[in-house]
Amino acid sequence: MDKIICLGKNYADHAAEMKDAPVEKPLLFIKPPSVLKEIKKGNSIDLPWERGAIHFETEVVFKLYKKNIIAVGVGLDLTLRDLQKELKEKGHPWERAKTFKNSCLISELKSTKDFPLGWEKTPFSLLVNGEKRQEALFNQAIMRADEIIHYANENFPLCDGDLIFTGTPAGVGPLKSGDQLTLKFGPIDLSFGVI
Amino acid sequence: MDRYKTSHDILARIERLRIMHDLMKEKSFEDISKEEILTDLKTTCEELEELFLQLSDQ
Repeated sequence: MDKIICLGKNYADHAAEMKDAPVEKPLLFIKPPSVLKEIKKGNSIDLPWERGAIHFETEVVFKLYKKNIIAVGVGLDLTLRDLQKELKEKGHPWERAKTFKNSCLISELKSTKDFPLGWEKTPFSLLVNGEKRQEALFNQAIMRADEIIHYANENFPLCDGDLIFTGTPAGVGPLKSGDQLTLKFGPIDLSFGVI
Repeated sequence: MDRYKTSHDILARIERLRIMHDLMKEKSFEDISKEEILTDLKTTCEELEELFLQLSDQ
């Protein structure tokens, strides 16, 4: 894997909750593979609480080979929200708020054949301490998968094995140490903790 | 082409080989056919040989 490409503002309801100005196209940014962690059931994930509020953003993730989707899963794009706000206000790049250790969590990625309804039509969700906080279908995103691949490749030439985080729907919020999280997406039902 | 770019291109192809291995192992041919993977395997191995030679000359 060369990089992780992430979309911002790819769900209209999330852009609205962030009170962000409308954009013509979703935003793009990248994360390095060094901040990626594949979560296993029962893991306890260390996060840098001393750096301020850490917000979860639940997203469909796909893996590419020759610009084709070969596997799909669900992930959390974690954000240091206080730092991001501070950097935005100063007009600075905010990648530092997105690139801390374990800021990019993914489930096991599954073959598209493991989603009988089609992965685009299968709900993905995040529960925090048993309460559903985010749920959506990829079909509700502004940009379709083939458009995302084309758009991403125009800006960050794609390599085989690259991952794409496809944006988050409404419902993002802060985590706290000790929270128990469950990610669900078709055959994926993954519970873990953050400490 | 500098040696950093050549090295990156080599590692990218090794990653491609690993993905091809996984697709074959899982018999996952829904999105990429077996024939296409085998063709890509041949091409990738040829490219790797060329890139390794380039790297040794840089």
